[in-house]
Amino acid sequence: MSFTFRLMLRDLRSGDLLTLLLALVISVSTVTSIGLFVDRLQLSFEQESANLLAADRLVRSDDPLPLEWKTQADALSLQYAERTSFTTMMFADNSLQLSQLSAVTDGYPLKGAYLVDDTLFGTGQSSTESPKSGEIWVSSRLASLLNVKIGNQVEVGDASFTVTKYLVRDPGSSTSAFAISPRAVMNMADLAATNVIIPGSRVRYSLLLAGERSALGDYERWITPQLNEGQRWQTPTQRGERIGDTIGRAESFLLLAGTLAVIMSGVAMALASARFVKRHLMQVAILKTLGATPKLLGKVFFQQLFTLFLAGALIGLGIGWAIQELIASILSGLMSTALPEPSVSRLWLGAATGAISMLVFCLPLMSHLIKISPLSVLQPNAKIELNTLFIYVVGFIGMYGLMCVYTNGFLLPSIMTAAISAIALFVAGIGWMAFKLGRSLTSGATSGWQIGLASLYRRLVPNLFQLLVFTLIIMLTLILIGVKSNLIADWQQQLPEDAPNHYLFNVQAEQIETINEATDTLNVPRSDWYPMVRGRVVAANGESVQALYPEERGEPELYERELNLTWSDSIGKGNELVAGDFSANGLSVEQKAAVEANLSLGDELTINIGGNMITLPITSIRTVDWGSMQPNFYLMLPKSALEDYPANFVSSLFIDESAAQPFYKAMSQFPTVSILNVGDILKQIQSIIGQLSKAIQLVLLCILSAGALVLLASVRSTLEERLEEGALLRVLGAKSALVRQALLVEFGALGFFAGLIAALGAEACLFGLQVFVFNSQASFHPLLWLLGPVIGVCVIATIGIFASRTVLKVPPMLLLRGL
Amino acid sequence: MASSTAIKVSNLTHTVTSNTGDLTILKGINMEIKESESVAIVGSSGSGKSTLLGLLAGLDVNTSGEVLLYDQEFSGQSEEKRALIRGQYVGFVFQSFHLLPSLQAIENVMLPAELKGDKDARKKAEVLLDKVGLSHRLTHYPNQLSGGEQQRVAIARAFASNPKILFADEPTGNLDEENGKLIIKLLFDLNQSQGTTLVMVTHDNELAKMCDRQLVMSAGQLTEKSL
Repeated sequence: MSFTFRLMLRDLRSGDLLTLLLALVISVSTVTSIGLFVDRLQLSFEQESANLLAADRLVRSDDPLPLEWKTQADALSLQYAERTSFTTMMFADNSLQLSQLSAVTDGYPLKGAYLVDDTLFGTGQSSTESPKSGEIWVSSRLASLLNVKIGNQVEVGDASFTVTKYLVRDPGSSTSAFAISPRAVMNMADLAATNVIIPGSRVRYSLLLAGERSALGDYERWITPQLNEGQRWQTPTQRGERIGDTIGRAESFLLLAGTLAVIMSGVAMALASARFVKRHLMQVAILKTLGATPKLLGKVFFQQLFTLFLAGALIGLGIGWAIQELIASILSGLMSTALPEPSVSRLWLGAATGAISMLVFCLPLMSHLIKISPLSVLQPNAKIELNTLFIYVVGFIGMYGLMCVYTNGFLLPSIMTAAISAIALFVAGIGWMAFKLGRSLTSGATSGWQIGLASLYRRLVPNLFQLLVFTLIIMLTLILIGVKSNLIADWQQQLPEDAPNHYLFNVQAEQIETINEATDTLNVPRSDWYPMVRGRVVAANGESVQALYPEERGEPELYERELNLTWSDSIGKGNELVAGDFSANGLSVEQKAAVEANLSLGDELTINIGGNMITLPITSIRTVDWGSMQPNFYLMLPKSALEDYPANFVSSLFIDESAAQPFYKAMSQFPTVSILNVGDILKQIQSIIGQLSKAIQLVLLCILSAGALVLLASVRSTLEERLEEGALLRVLGAKSALVRQALLVEFGALGFFAGLIAALGAEACLFGLQVFVFNSQASFHPLLWLLGPVIGVCVIATIGIFASRTVLKVPPMLLLRGL
Repeated sequence: MASSTAIKVSNLTHTVTSNTGDLTILKGINMEIKESESVAIVGSSGSGKSTLLGLLAGLDVNTSGEVLLYDQEFSGQSEEKRALIRGQYVGFVFQSFHLLPSLQAIENVMLPAELKGDKDARKKAEVLLDKVGLSHRLTHYPNQLSGGEQQRVAIARAFASNPKILFADEPTGNLDEENGKLIIKLLFDLNQSQGTTLVMVTHDNELAKMCDRQLVMSAGQLTEKSL
């Protein structure tokens, strides 16, 4: 065995290398476990969302699908299916009903499943097969309206079909959420025979795709430039969709958690390296006196570090993999679907974190270690010239780089870095003042209190550094707790258990009263009624939309399609005024739509309502909570502008399972009223949110354990000095209780200050994160101000006493001899 | 009797920079030490004894002048070269022993031979530890040994590389009288049996008297004390 490894094995025995190895293992395993787990969650979200889309990706078109779209999908080995949706009249014996019919090919759905039932208004069993040729599945409401049962015949155009199932949910239905008529599904093979699609019919053709991510990416790049105005590429997590938003925020949280893990690991590595170097300074000086050349020492340490890296990375990756498997298996009992397997390729992140940590935290310190003068053996106080600025700068850049790699962006790392720098300055200032005050209050150290407080100032620099580390760890913990509870509360607020799950459309003014009576009898909660008039924005500030967007590409949503317009005396639930005056006689525009169309207060829009042009200035801008499931509108007009037009009314309701059947029955007396059931989509979103909340809590637990280990490493880094001091005190006659009290006071005070400053820092960071990263409302977190100091005092005092227990136990003689 | 020159020092000057300005610790020192000679460097605290020892052993770089070890220019060399020369010619014994706390007694003694790539390091270390009377303490760690025992391990380590010159910095400074005598005996026995040149910094007059020569360090100047 070479000298390097003999020396290394001996060092391992002493525990110094072991501490470094442990820090590396913690670093690699934390990042690996979170990285892999996030990957699995992301894959899982994508799958869940894909279920809502019935595919991984979808291209939708107003014209029949070009053949080459399918050829290209074949060429890229993508699975595909087709869906053609249109509104048509359906006939049965004596009744007829306008319905939303989808014709699908045999492979449909590519993702997710239908829910079908043999009982009218049943809750449904899943089915991944579509109706066979000659069959049709109709929704319970459609069956009620047509007065048909399973086995009966219905007619669509020239063809006749047998009802074989009641359709509870069509997996792709959410993408056409505002197809208001009752739904039915048939086989694509029968479509031609119906002869219902004629030139000019309003039909939506969809090509559904599923397959490898890379192939889907290739397909997207191939098709995007060819898409015209009536064609659109859709992904499951497209922005703006409720589900996409929810997942987006969860991903931000998990990224944040992972970034914090990176920081904590970095701190652990830095602390362990510093301790290793400190304990090896004299060893290197002695080896030099014995004839070890700097070159040899460089080789020895490099080989040691490299071996350490290999061992640490392998163990860390293994533990990381095991931890995420453990989390996933704990979660599997709670989740409705199994998590997909993580991608092995994500392992590089953990290994890279280990390598970069070694490079930036160990190597610069080690290079200084090699430079130590052998003269130190004769002059133990000889100054060791450490280029601390260089070490800090390298460590700082390395940490920032790691965060950027981890988050694949600069925003989050920049916010975190700025916050940490500010905190560091603040900690240094406050800590210095507090420690000084502590000392001035304790002249004549006789009690544990006085000794404890006085030692805070006596070891000013190491204590300030420790205060900073404690503060950061507690702060990061508080931030995570704050973000977690914010996020979950936000979601729950967004989608409470009794969120509306049905919409009523096409309600005439005179029907409102009867419907109100029916819903009141059934105790069904209902939102306000909103009148709806269809209209299209045709000009902005006198310039026509066609002139503004001649290519019809990049047209803002506000101009792109016919909108539902409404009026209301009050701004409405889930809406918030951000500019202007809602009651003024003008338009109220949703904020994102206004930004997209580059509109601000005072701009004028011309709206075409049934051939009449109305021009009004924008007098207010609102934010809309699209997740609230309340009727929401891009454009609201003054009552005076709309009241003369015939309007339909819309409302949303929450119907629980027990009320469903009587409600549908009651509504069957209003065949013209359209009911949209979004309950299943809602349930799916709620289940995703539930899974996310649990996942986030587990990730938080992981981070907290990593944090505790960092705290332990930090306490250990000043252990020698404390051991020496404790031993001296005991040699001088101090009882163990006094030494223990002094340690308790010292650690307790450090913890208290750290907790307090951490609460302040966390509050500031949460503000930044809420406003800039999560795009939610800023709020105050009183709980953090209590948790911070309490965690600080309890955890740090406990860890401190635990780590320093040798100070109290071991005979002082042995300690002094060993020092 | 000494035959050839082990150490030759000409016009050795050493200046350090401190907060209060430059401070010249050694002022133009000239001396020669013959092979197998034992030399004590004595003087009051702060007179520059340890600084001189450090420069003689190549642990530090002098400001001006020259140090030759067996006719090899030593002082002007790079740290790399000096370390090689130290490994070849020099052994050390320190006042505070300086054993590596994480290594057992035998491992501490093996180090110099291991650094040279000697495959028999362990065997040699066992013999040396036996010579210093510690064959029963091979696997003990420094903190499990008494001060006297630690210094005996340090002496075994110093002789492990068969040094031509042994530098000792207050070797009995941290020991009681009895242990001090034992250490002195060991040092001189080994000095005699292996023909090693012994250069020792000490406050101990008795110890100094046992050496062939005594050099007195005072205010940065070195004078020979006539015996």
